[in-house]
Amino acid sequence: MPPEAASSGGDLTRGSAWRKFLDESALLRHYLWKYRKFVGYGLATLLLVDLLELAPPIFLKNSIDAVMGGKPRRILAWFALAYVLTSLIQGFCRYGWRIYLIRSSMLAGRDLRLKFSDHLFQLSASFYDKRRIGELMSLATNDVDAVRMAMGAGLLTMADAAFYIVTVPVVMVILSPQLTLLAFLPLPLIPWFVMRNEREIHTRFQSVQASFSKISAMAQENLNGIRITKAFAREDEQHHRIQKLGEEYVRLNLELAKIQSAFGPTLDFMMSLGLVILLFMGGRFVISDLVTLGTFVAFQRYIQKMVWPMTAIGLSLSYYQRSVASSIRMEEVLSLQSDVQESLSPAELPPAAFRTSKAAHPGPWKTAGAIEFRKFHFGFPGSANPVLRNIDLKIEAGQRVAFVGSIGAGKTALLGVLPRLYPVGDGMVHLDGVDINQWPLEELRRQIGYVGQEVFLFSESVLENVAYGLHEWTDAPKKLLATHQAMTLASVREDVKLLSHGEQTRLGERGVNLSGGQKQRLTLARALAKEPSVLILDDALSSVDVQTEETILSGLRARSGRNTELLAAHRISTVKDSDWIVVLADGGIGRQGTHSQLITEKNSLYWKFHEQQRLKDDLAEYLRDLEGTFS
Amino acid sequence: MNLNLETDETSSALQPQIQMKTFRRLLAVIGGQKKLLIAGLLLIFLGTAAALSEPRLFGYAIDDAILPKDWLLLRNIGIFYLLVVCIRVSSMIAQAYLFEKLGQRVMQELRLALFAQLQALPVSTYDRNPVGRLITRVTNDISAMAEMFSAGFVTMIGNILIVIGTLVWLLVLDLRLGLIASAVFPVILITSAHFSRSLTTAYRNARTRLSALNAFLAENILGMKVVHLFNRQKIHVNRFMQINESLADAQISSVKVFAYFQPTLTWCSGIAVSLVIWFGGSRALEGSLKPGILVAFFSYVLAMFQPMREIVDKWTVFLSGMTAAERVFGILDWETEMPVAETAIEAVALSDVRGHIVFENVWFAYTTDKHGGEHWVLKDLSFEIKPGMQVGIVGHTGSGKTTLISLLLRFYEPQKGRILLDGKDLRDYDRRSLRASIGIVQQDVFLFSGSIEENLHLWKNPAPETRAKVEGAMKNLGASRHLLNLDERGSNLSTGERQILAFGRALASDPKIWIMDEATSNIDSESEERLNTALTEASKDRTLLMIAHRLATVRSADLILTLHKGVLVECGSHRELLEQNGFYSKLYRYQSVLEKEHLVEPELGTSTDL
Repeated sequence: MPPEAASSGGDLTRGSAWRKFLDESALLRHYLWKYRKFVGYGLATLLLVDLLELAPPIFLKNSIDAVMGGKPRRILAWFALAYVLTSLIQGFCRYGWRIYLIRSSMLAGRDLRLKFSDHLFQLSASFYDKRRIGELMSLATNDVDAVRMAMGAGLLTMADAAFYIVTVPVVMVILSPQLTLLAFLPLPLIPWFVMRNEREIHTRFQSVQASFSKISAMAQENLNGIRITKAFAREDEQHHRIQKLGEEYVRLNLELAKIQSAFGPTLDFMMSLGLVILLFMGGRFVISDLVTLGTFVAFQRYIQKMVWPMTAIGLSLSYYQRSVASSIRMEEVLSLQSDVQESLSPAELPPAAFRTSKAAHPGPWKTAGAIEFRKFHFGFPGSANPVLRNIDLKIEAGQRVAFVGSIGAGKTALLGVLPRLYPVGDGMVHLDGVDINQWPLEELRRQIGYVGQEVFLFSESVLENVAYGLHEWTDAPKKLLATHQAMTLASVREDVKLLSHGEQTRLGERGVNLSGGQKQRLTLARALAKEPSVLILDDALSSVDVQTEETILSGLRARSGRNTELLAAHRISTVKDSDWIVVLADGGIGRQGTHSQLITEKNSLYWKFHEQQRLKDDLAEYLRDLEGTFS
Repeated sequence: MNLNLETDETSSALQPQIQMKTFRRLLAVIGGQKKLLIAGLLLIFLGTAAALSEPRLFGYAIDDAILPKDWLLLRNIGIFYLLVVCIRVSSMIAQAYLFEKLGQRVMQELRLALFAQLQALPVSTYDRNPVGRLITRVTNDISAMAEMFSAGFVTMIGNILIVIGTLVWLLVLDLRLGLIASAVFPVILITSAHFSRSLTTAYRNARTRLSALNAFLAENILGMKVVHLFNRQKIHVNRFMQINESLADAQISSVKVFAYFQPTLTWCSGIAVSLVIWFGGSRALEGSLKPGILVAFFSYVLAMFQPMREIVDKWTVFLSGMTAAERVFGILDWETEMPVAETAIEAVALSDVRGHIVFENVWFAYTTDKHGGEHWVLKDLSFEIKPGMQVGIVGHTGSGKTTLISLLLRFYEPQKGRILLDGKDLRDYDRRSLRASIGIVQQDVFLFSGSIEENLHLWKNPAPETRAKVEGAMKNLGASRHLLNLDERGSNLSTGERQILAFGRALASDPKIWIMDEATSNIDSESEERLNTALTEASKDRTLLMIAHRLATVRSADLILTLHKGVLVECGSHRELLEQNGFYSKLYRYQSVLEKEHLVEPELGTSTDL
């Protein structure tokens, strides 16, 4: 970061304006400083181009004066040569500033995109519950571009304009102070004109933007509600709506165009007035021999060169303003901290013996998997009502414990806190005697295999998806073995073999579409492949048929290296073989026991679940028989 | 029909002739604004002529006024020069405005055409295309085209005219010197052609990588929980870094294309001017060239290069505008729901529907697989609903209940069999009036962002008695004061309030056929009862179809249809079906176990994924 100059004067408003400037340009300044070398080279070559740009009119002036003075021809050759040489160097320099300045802005854009995306990867589930993906994508692309543009095109136009404004008049004054003064007579009009219109353009531009967002929102809404529009036969009304919004947009755009289309030409006109004055007065000066015809010609060129910097200033300001608006939006997200943080003094896990031998290859250490909830409370971040209250529960290592309860009883909340996707209070949840907040976050999540209700697979091959949790340096044969075992356990291997490219088949939007049950089983295989110590299945097999589910569950019991398993399910068939069953009701624990214990109490919630399951099985059997009769 | 939007960019890179087609189509659209176009072009000609005459005036001033020391003529040329400047500047202002207007009008026309097209697309198109992608067409692509019009178009035409005009002037002023000065021109043409080709490639390259980056990031945002659960943050950040790096590389190589081209222009202009200094200056020394002409030559040669720089700078605007245009035209070519005229010669407009619905051996599938085999969602469905009947439709997820309703609304057409309404094939009716005579209340009430009033009447102005009837009905349903304040915004309504609003929405169109699609599954039993009473009253003597998974809802229906995997398994009244001891009665017993606790699962899964 550049050394921050403290606000100098005692003037409070000026000081705070300076502070504001420092705050809002922080991102921009950070990258300018980071790429100061490139930016420096870029500005230096740009300065050289602009300085050299002063020479050609002089060559023209001298050529004309040579012609008028009847000097020998070879002088002309020298000027022509000087002209070519100047443009040769300028050409190289033009290449230079483009490469240096624009490239540094591209690099800054790259860095900022990375910084922002990296930050996104740190934020927890509660952040993503609140934000829409469109908004985040727009920040990572459009707003990054706005900052980048300010650094590239913005800085370029500003520096270019500044160099011209400082240097050109100097040369003109040297050539003829009086003529300079006369030619610049219309000049003071320009800053006044720019200031006056710039603000108005900005305001009108913003209403155009607002109107544009309205159209976008309307279009989005209409497409989302297309079935309602069609069902109620309101196509004409909707068309009329967008037509009205569109006409408003056109009107606002034309309002803007009224000023904007006059802006550039008016500036041009003011400089051209300088040329008119030159023609009048400069002509007289030449006639009265106050200046040479060459000087007159040089002035013509210089005045024309002043048009661009005048427009450029307004342009660079708008680049800057856009970057500030974007920086503010991005900083708002960048300043957020994840509500799930690594403990400051994490427990030393895995134990020292497993860490010393091969630091680069942590051994496959597995924790025992005893879990304890102590006076556990939980509410989702930002929600006032706790989902669970006062839960006390001990789960011994190696047990299979099932949770049942109606929708909203808190099963998902109870199981979801273990991998710390959401923040948990200290001292409430313990894994093998250590508060989960004290576990190193990465190690905790490595020990837990969590399969939730939402199925999410990446648009990569089946193999890559199942091997997702394996350490990146797991060698290929081992990877293949682990994924095959996991897929077999999840009863999905046969399904995968039937896919067009087997386990190399690509999934996702552009790949094949699997059925809900296949996706669930792949998700389970993904969790199994990393051989977790604690396996959590939160209603994870709801789309898998009962027989397959039974195969999977008994397979899981028989697998080697099995530790604790926690299940939440709607189906009694899923939970009945568990070692322990916990019924959740009204945010707390209702009854608990084994299936045979719970089933004895008639009309209890568990009994009803069981009864319902029996009737459902009956129904399912009936339907299977029925399907046999379908042709 | 091209539904694969993602590949549009790559395909056009391979097929330049598509771009020519797009260009011609675009010209046809612009041609619709003849007056503006002609006025704008005339102004461009005027402005260019003025701009071209300015250096010449300087030449006259030098040769005819300054050197002969003619004060009066100098003054007159000065005044004339001022006039020319005024003409040039005003024509610049006017043409910028006119072309903006032209662009905006064309855009509005295209936006409306595109919007109308999107509304007319069959519902099945929306099943296949994510809404987000289609919206991008209506908004971003149209803007890209607008920018091409307002910025690119004028600059292109104006600048090309200036370049050509200057060349002509140079040759007219002095043929020999003109030829010498424009000697570099072929070099520029060759490099420009090369430049535009490399830039197009570099630009497309960057675009492709940008969409790869966007896709990666979007997927990760959606799957962030999984990334965290598997401790993959670092790996994914690394992968992002690679994609990001390759994007930056592509962007930088397009910078390089510009960087290589710019010096070429500088060198060419340097060479051209020095040629004029040497040859022109020598001839002026000999006296065979007037000094004023020499000065004008300098101006003209220099003026020729500025427009070229501007063309180069606007080239990307032009490219993205063309890409956008190609995609927009692509959508305009998609098939829409058949206009009535083509399907039925005498499309019957519905005025007095009785509500007699007959399904005759209806087969329907959403998709056909590669081998032309259908995955049937409805199989050989036949039943009859008499006018004024209350009908319950029951079945698991995927049994075809909602599909049946979609067919009745003609969102889709059955592949086999036919549906009759009041004895006529549904396909003989005008789609819109058919839909207008059906009132549907859905489980997930879709709210538009307008006021409650707008959501209720969907931008139609109802008759006063309809308005009163709807408001009265809503009041009876226990609508809160908030809901009856029609100017309020529709967002933030509770589920119950949304349900009441949806009922009012249907009631307002006074439907002859009522459809309740799981409409009462999310509300408490008291509200459900009230809604059912209101519905019974509103649908008196009208046909009512109720889809429900809570069987209690349909118990009193005249007829209950039970569907399983697209097959009509049983039908009859509640009592008849219980006596059959089949699907319905088993489902009914199953549900009554937990009925009192309200623990019925929101929807019965089919439990099969084979």
